[in-house]
Amino acid sequence: MRALCWEGVDDLRVTEVPDPEVVNPRDVVLRVSLSSACGSDLHILNGYLPTMREGDVIGHEFMGEVAEVGRKVEDVSVGDRVVVPSFVGCGNCAYCADDLWSLCDNTNPNASLQEPVLGDATAGIYGYTHAFGGYAGSHAEYVRVPHADTNCFHVPDELDDQQALFASDAWPTGYMGADFCDIEDGDVVAVWGCGGVGLMAQESAALMGAERVIAIDRLPERLAMAEEHAGAETIDYTEVDVVDELKRRTGGRGPDACIDAVGMEAHGTGVAHAYDRAKQRLRLHTDRGEALRQAMRACRKGGTLSVLGVYGVMDKFPLGVAVNKGLTVRTAQQHGQRYVPQLLDHVAEGEMDPSYLATHELPLAESPEGYDLFKHKEDGCVRPVFRP
Amino acid sequence: MTAEHGAESVGTGSNETGKQGLSGARLAVAVVGGALVAAGVRRRSAGGAALAAAGGWLLYRSVRGRGSATERAGAPPDAQTVERAVTVRASADDLYERWRDPDELDRLLAGFADVRAAGEDRQRWTVAEPLGRPVAWNARITEDSPGEALRWESEPGATVPNEWSVRFADAPGDQGTEVTLRIRFDPPGGSVGDAAMSVFGVVPEVLVGEALRRCRSLAEAGETPTLDGNPSGRGRGDRL
Repeated sequence: MRALCWEGVDDLRVTEVPDPEVVNPRDVVLRVSLSSACGSDLHILNGYLPTMREGDVIGHEFMGEVAEVGRKVEDVSVGDRVVVPSFVGCGNCAYCADDLWSLCDNTNPNASLQEPVLGDATAGIYGYTHAFGGYAGSHAEYVRVPHADTNCFHVPDELDDQQALFASDAWPTGYMGADFCDIEDGDVVAVWGCGGVGLMAQESAALMGAERVIAIDRLPERLAMAEEHAGAETIDYTEVDVVDELKRRTGGRGPDACIDAVGMEAHGTGVAHAYDRAKQRLRLHTDRGEALRQAMRACRKGGTLSVLGVYGVMDKFPLGVAVNKGLTVRTAQQHGQRYVPQLLDHVAEGEMDPSYLATHELPLAESPEGYDLFKHKEDGCVRPVFRP
Repeated sequence: MTAEHGAESVGTGSNETGKQGLSGARLAVAVVGGALVAAGVRRRSAGGAALAAAGGWLLYRSVRGRGSATERAGAPPDAQTVERAVTVRASADDLYERWRDPDELDRLLAGFADVRAAGEDRQRWTVAEPLGRPVAWNARITEDSPGEALRWESEPGATVPNEWSVRFADAPGDQGTEVTLRIRFDPPGGSVGDAAMSVFGVVPEVLVGEALRRCRSLAEAGETPTLDGNPSGRGRGDRL
């Protein structure tokens, strides 16, 4: 089959690779209908996440049609149209039972690679480094999905592919980030980042009853999307001091909850950003954390800091800010399986429709160009999606 | 083995994943952990990742101190003991049965050793892919407390005398069972160095971790996660 392979920093190529097959009896092989690029892929593209290997198939946000089922699969049949969360859950361990799916104990074949760094191993994920499982990704004609009964969610007939696609990753991630904020009437929620995850977090916060949502980015077309789809107020961080502006707009309190939907390659302004950038360039550290630091300073005392961005081992996390301000910090990789059914319901009931994130639909053959658009944020690109 | 937690019978590829992680931990003894981590990360490849993992453990161990000395009387002074634990959502009795059955044990230790019954309380253990010549020994079950503990000791004549023990204890609340696996290698002839690595080419911490993880995955999920047949630009399968 054809697949998009990582061949090195800034080097993606569509090549011929073997077809995946059912290996374990609960596996299915999915014929991919749509697969989306994700902001977290940029960390791989830019070489900031270790344990990638030349030839790895990337992509972890996808939906498609079941092509082959293992003999122990019960709830999924050939021909079913399904959407699949990025993290593989087994459905039976303590973490899956607690709805903490990205922490599954039994789906990372390379757990011993992760343990020395994290002290534990996470669930496996498709197309996202060997430490995170090494599973082939979804930017391909076919992808193997383990524990299919747990990980495949049927797409209602009235939804088209793009409406279902983002229930795989961007939306459950953003939704979880808003869920972490325990939003109450009158709450002001600020979201750093207006990419796919940020926009989903903003819209989900509004859906959960936030009185005001404030979106922070620098790209006019993305800020416009935040206004249009989430009813958000916007801040262009290149024009104002974000922390001052947020305090000013919230009666001096600061937002009740701050969501970081940016992660380890934050852009910023000023000295702190220049310092981060220089260190990251020299590979002296992996993370640029300006968005996270702003969120900590801006958040109201006693408020919630919800961290969705992908980080490595960030070395300048000003913990004293969080401690002295009594912040509640909540974070995780997305627990998609907890949210997917209700997300699909939201679309079916017309309450939310994330398909506008797919600004560019391309054939798989043009996926390297799609990533190029995405990385450089050209042509208003929020998410390129690929149709094999 | 009960029907409820029945493991898959070994079919094509299914569950034949033990070499993963372990083969990645095979390395030369002379290299130190820090250099491995650096080299592994610099290589940015799965082989490099494996080096980094092994190096990470070695580094961790060198900081923590070498394998803790065993408390057992009469053990050689440079015997090396590694002990780790996992919590499994299954009963102690069910888990005991898994470790007591040689076929199941063969599955748990896949990638390190093949285990075959050789009598009521004896087994033949053959190391799967050692660095040098094949290594095999007879192991005798020297402790057998149903639902509580098992111990295997190599019989005299083993290249590297070794001892394995597993204990089962109820976890607090309804969390299942804490399974603690301890292995001890006695370096041959009192030689300095890491017996597990010099003879078997494995990092003991990784070996113990893999066995415990396989135990948990088989008991809870009925299968072990695998990259067998995994497609990439390098071909099929993706062993580290």
